[in-house]
Amino acid sequence: MTEAVVGITFTGLLVFMIGVYLLFAYRNLLRLVLGVEVLAKGVTLILLAAGLHRGMVPLIQSLIVTFIIVETILAAILLSIIVISQRTNGSLDVRVLSRLRG
Amino acid sequence: MTLLIGCLVLLVVAVVLLGLFQDLLYSALGLAVASIMLSIVLFQFGANIAAVFELSVCAGLITVLFVSTVSLTKDSDQKGESRLPARFLLPMLVVFAGVAFGGVTWLASHVAAAPAAAPHTFQDVFWGQRSSDVLGQIAIILAGVLGMLAVLRVKLQGGHHD
Repeated sequence: MTEAVVGITFTGLLVFMIGVYLLFAYRNLLRLVLGVEVLAKGVTLILLAAGLHRGMVPLIQSLIVTFIIVETILAAILLSIIVISQRTNGSLDVRVLSRLRG
Repeated sequence: MTLLIGCLVLLVVAVVLLGLFQDLLYSALGLAVASIMLSIVLFQFGANIAAVFELSVCAGLITVLFVSTVSLTKDSDQKGESRLPARFLLPMLVVFAGVAFGGVTWLASHVAAAPAAAPHTFQDVFWGQRSSDVLGQIAIILAGVLGMLAVLRVKLQGGHHD
């Protein structure tokens, strides 16, 4: 592994763990979406490191593009659900969602 | 190499500040800065199209969506939202860095040297080898549009009831 691959892998793992921490640390739904986005940044970095290590940058580039599209759709759906949840329950607390019934 | 290290450090700093900011707008800006740094890293290694996607979609579109959502929900409660005090993030960062260092060390000793790969262009890979991914992307985008429509329909019905 080259120095660049080591650095990118290290940063990717670090950012991924920070994203997991954000998911555990906060109850605000918007901050949970931020945590998911931070997780996605870490995954993108680790994908890039894998592509660099294998010398397959075009292949990993197409996977990253696919991942970005999935991430964007996920964020759009989550944010719209958050708006509706806030209008319905009057709160952004994730515990309020436990009141949802079938 | 200096630019790479600088971008990676700034990315981590932006992500940490994102978790420490009390104001969600500043947190959204931190996420945008992290996306910009990631796109610079992608651009440095020849992943130009992925870099453009990251810059325009993640740093642009998602930030706009997030700020719009913050403004739509600004009257709701944002106090007492933290399950863990924010001051735990910096000590945990040291633990995370140690775990990441251990993981990289393990990977460096266990991952075999890379074989020489045949050169391809992004277009060959994306439209030739990974054409099924394009179908998946179209399906995901359609699912997203249908999901948004379903949510908006619920919203309209709720408005009629009010």
